[in-house]
Amino acid sequence: MSQLAETAADVMPILGKSAKELKALGAQRHLSLSDAEWAAIQAHFKAVKREPSLAELETIAQTWSEHCKHKTFTSPIKYHEGKKTRSIKNLFQETIVAATEAVKKPWCLSLFKDNAGVVAFGKKWALAMKVETHNHPSALEPYGGAATGVGGVVRDILGVGLGAKPVLNTDTFCFGRPDYKGGLPEGAHHPMRTMRGVVAGVRDYGNRMGIPTAGGGIWFDDDYRLNPLVFCGTVGVMPQWAVKKQVKPGDLIVAVGGRTGRDGLHGATFSSANLGADAPSSAVQIGHAIQEKRVLDALLAARDKQLYSSVTDCGAGGFSSAIGELGADCGAMVRLEQAPLKVSDLDSWEIWLSESQERMVLAVNPKSLKALEAVFAAEGCELAVLGEFTKTGRLQVMHHERSVVDLDMKFLHKGLPRVEREAVWTPAPAAKPAGGVPKKMGEAIREMVANLNVCSREWVIRQYDHEVQGGTIVKPLQGVRHDGPGDACVIWPHAATGDMNDFAAFAVGHGMNPEYGRIDPYWMALAAVDEALRNLTCVGADPSRAALLDNFCWASPDDPKQLGALIRAAEGCRDAAKGFSAPFISGKDSLFNQSKDEKGKDLQIPGTLLISALAPVPDGRKAVTMDFKGVGNALYLIGRTNDELGGSLYHKTLGRTGGEVPKVSPPPRSTASRRCTRPPRAASCSPRTTCPRAAWPSAPSRWALPASSAACWTSTKSRATRASTPTRPCSSPSPPRASSSRSTRSTSPRSSATSASPPSPRWSAASGRPRPTQS
Amino acid sequence: MKKPKVLILRSPGTNCELETANAFKAVGGEPELVHISELGAGKKKLMDYAIFALPGGFSYGDDVGAGKVLANRVRHTLTDLRQFVRLGRPVIGICNGFQVLVKAGILPSSNACDQSASFTVNDSGKFEARWTHLRINTQSSCLFFKGLPEMIELPVAHGEGKLVLKSPRHLEDLKKTKSIALQYVSEDGKLLGYPHNPNGSLFNIAGLTNPEGNVLGLMPHPERFVSLHHHPNWTRQTYRKAPVGLEMFKNAVDYAR
Amino acid sequence: MSGKVAAQNTYVLEVRLRTEYTDAEGAAALALLKEQGLTSLKEARMGRLYEITGALTANQAQQAGKDLLCDAVTQEFRVVPAGAAPMNGMNFWRVEVWLKPTVSDPVGATVVEAIAEAGLPKPASARCASLYLLSGRAMKAQIEKAVAKSLANPLIHRVVVTEAHP
Repeated sequence: MSQLAETAADVMPILGKSAKELKALGAQRHLSLSDAEWAAIQAHFKAVKREPSLAELETIAQTWSEHCKHKTFTSPIKYHEGKKTRSIKNLFQETIVAATEAVKKPWCLSLFKDNAGVVAFGKKWALAMKVETHNHPSALEPYGGAATGVGGVVRDILGVGLGAKPVLNTDTFCFGRPDYKGGLPEGAHHPMRTMRGVVAGVRDYGNRMGIPTAGGGIWFDDDYRLNPLVFCGTVGVMPQWAVKKQVKPGDLIVAVGGRTGRDGLHGATFSSANLGADAPSSAVQIGHAIQEKRVLDALLAARDKQLYSSVTDCGAGGFSSAIGELGADCGAMVRLEQAPLKVSDLDSWEIWLSESQERMVLAVNPKSLKALEAVFAAEGCELAVLGEFTKTGRLQVMHHERSVVDLDMKFLHKGLPRVEREAVWTPAPAAKPAGGVPKKMGEAIREMVANLNVCSREWVIRQYDHEVQGGTIVKPLQGVRHDGPGDACVIWPHAATGDMNDFAAFAVGHGMNPEYGRIDPYWMALAAVDEALRNLTCVGADPSRAALLDNFCWASPDDPKQLGALIRAAEGCRDAAKGFSAPFISGKDSLFNQSKDEKGKDLQIPGTLLISALAPVPDGRKAVTMDFKGVGNALYLIGRTNDELGGSLYHKTLGRTGGEVPKVSPPPRSTASRRCTRPPRAASCSPRTTCPRAAWPSAPSRWALPASSAACWTSTKSRATRASTPTRPCSSPSPPRASSSRSTRSTSPRSSATSASPPSPRWSAASGRPRPTQS
Repeated sequence: MKKPKVLILRSPGTNCELETANAFKAVGGEPELVHISELGAGKKKLMDYAIFALPGGFSYGDDVGAGKVLANRVRHTLTDLRQFVRLGRPVIGICNGFQVLVKAGILPSSNACDQSASFTVNDSGKFEARWTHLRINTQSSCLFFKGLPEMIELPVAHGEGKLVLKSPRHLEDLKKTKSIALQYVSEDGKLLGYPHNPNGSLFNIAGLTNPEGNVLGLMPHPERFVSLHHHPNWTRQTYRKAPVGLEMFKNAVDYAR
Repeated sequence: MSGKVAAQNTYVLEVRLRTEYTDAEGAAALALLKEQGLTSLKEARMGRLYEITGALTANQAQQAGKDLLCDAVTQEFRVVPAGAAPMNGMNFWRVEVWLKPTVSDPVGATVVEAIAEAGLPKPASARCASLYLLSGRAMKAQIEKAVAKSLANPLIHRVVVTEAHP
């Protein structure tokens, strides 16, 4: 087939090169391929008897990147725990997927294989949710990185099924302390600057898109100073008929939205590399929210007229991953000269791999093209036919009659060699709480309330338009003066459904606490799920209908200890999902969050797991809020308080270490327990924790008050709408958790389309949408 | 009963059009979302509608200045808007829509074509979303406020909402013509500064009307208070009045019938 | 891209808030610069620069500035003469923060569209910059350093600091 690459410059000779030479080539081209991957590529091209083109190597490198393929979660691992060793074939399948399959919920409509997870919302509608991270870009350019993070996850929601209307954004951040006084390596931004830039980026993009940002949180820890974490989530509403998508050979490949430029090249491969001073400026972009709003408006109008049969967004890898993913099961023929460009001097591989924002790819029946063009023209949104889907099983790309890519889809999506990694988990010896200076309770409480992880987030929340679309009926700020924290937001999406007489609503809550993870990531995971579900229960959502999303942010999995901790956390997720009978519907991991500090030492982030939970509130008018309603109302503490202050804010305040982290009971069994299925009880069934008797009257202002302290106090609402509500489960100790309640994030399946293993959810990448720069 | 047709203007970046349409629908109007390009191409005509609404959002990203680019398009495209106003048909501009009406020279007085007011960045220097207490000017003849109590609450959400005037003389004119429709106040009705006045607007102005009372522009969002459950304190059950926003839309629809 | 209709001219338009209006953005910028150690600065005012390239005549550029880019009440504008000589500004500084050419400029895209929709020749490109006019004692190198840590990110921005007229 190949008359490939007549032009010599396009051919990248690799046959006959040594591993060392290939590695050097990879470094020079920012390809981030391992030795084993190079060997597999070499073998493939040897078999087809030709050299690859540059565009082909780029396509393979990006498709196989950690960002897209989630290699760590899907490759074999030898896991040593204490003296025992066991083999894990596919961590994702054995934890997240296994738990979801075990709890089997008929209301899950799409799991792990599309751009977001989808659950039923009444009979007619469905909710799609995805949560992404955009860590590395936000470290380099906080404003642009965070803004494009929002843009990327919104496109995930536009690209799930035939497209959902985004109705809620959530944002959770982890930063170094803004008053950090220590040194920083050359080129790193101070945490204060990072925080300001990220908040402004989320604000400017989310507000312009007209999507309420009503959930999320912030966690401060100096170990995030070089690697801030930016989790962006979106929930969308779609009619159930739009959940399924299908590409047919003969369908046209249509690109819509922004033009293609040189921006964002190598976002995917870069996201897996250590942050360094040599970051290419092209890896970072400034978002164009209004361009994306045009796409949104036009796309949903076209969806309702059923003018296309499949859609996905251009994320990491640009056209290469979007088209490679859509055409994975059939084949695709692309003509790059059709793509509208921002600048005219782009090379073929640059057009193919560019990660310019605000673009999506549709599969369109030729008969519908004219009508589709009219819809997009009406919104002032550009559209171009790039080629068509074929039956060849090959990914073929031409540029001005010259073949630049001609790859077997099977090799591309399934040829990735799996390398076994080592992982170690050494349980910490039981340590009694020790050290620190005792403080008077009053003094300790004052310090805790003023702690960065507890204090008010009003400064941030007010910058987000959290009420656009007119559906935020439980707002992120609560209380008489609207300045106290809330557990979770409740959204009544009438702007999306068009029906103000239908009061069906949904809530999104979060759970996260990296402090527990420093002691034991397994219990951290259980606590995070528990917290997210309790937050939902506290606003009147139905926890038996809760769907979960997992977002792991970790340091390098090449470090066996880090990988061991990651496995512990993933197993915690599995047991929590089974124990609470709540399925995971989507998720994502971002690894390699570590950088050299000013002394050249590796600074790793604490293993961080954000759990987002989404559940319907069948009647939004019966939602409840956490603020104390009146004098004389009784307070109830639900659940037992154990001696589990390990990792708590109270310990931190005293300077004490050690101790037990809260152990969420019911100890999850391997079979899905029914315990939590009845809504009222559900969340409360995990009593854990200790709250150091500190009661503060309405927990002051944290934005998502974490489960912690505030949760111990239940206010009986003056109106007892639901028996279940008043009890807010008690939660735990007071580790502040930053992020909790406010956001919903959506799940993204880590799926990717590309990997083809059909039956079970996969998390492969491609569809999973890597968005360009995201990490 | 007759359902008055409501033109809800869209442009790239408009983002409150759906909830505004739902509000009009709830009070018996027949809203239609119309893109500015459809009006420009002559596919739709403003004069075919009974009510004209400019919803909130970030038209054209608010690049160059809030509402500025859309205001220019409105000037060039909607040449019949002044006639629409003269005929006494209700016009409401909310948030970005208010900015557009002011920058297009329709408010405070649509007779003078020149722009005499404008908006600058909030004194706080940032976008702010919060509920505000507002006082309706009971002397103004604004049809949208008919029958409403003097003190109301509505949410604001904007970054460039500080209303300023070309000169102090204009403020006196506005007072004389009773064009100041709505002011930010504290809970007990006083003209106080931040945060009661969320953006630093001159004389705490939150909304302007034309002297005839059929055009209203306001920074707060009435479409975000069309159900009791929109009020931030509804779970406390301390707020029992009818949702103010809904009443405003109802006034317009009833008037147009 | 399409065409050689007319000669391509480049204009830089400068839009500033009139001095009688409080400049909240300028105040915020001043606070950021002070955090970086420029405590001797007294004031910062903010403006915008638009570099427009296209087949526009000088009159058309004026018209675009007046009707489209500048608020009739609160702002004033001028076309910055090409190759303006640096002033002996003493304690006045002009800081321009431009996006690097490889970075997309959404505001520029809007400006291109708005100019075309107003019936003027569609520009080939428009780029937007933030302009900060600083007053107070400082060294150029200090300002450059402080700006790089607060108002601009060297990864995506090009910063030009010059002495200016008051």
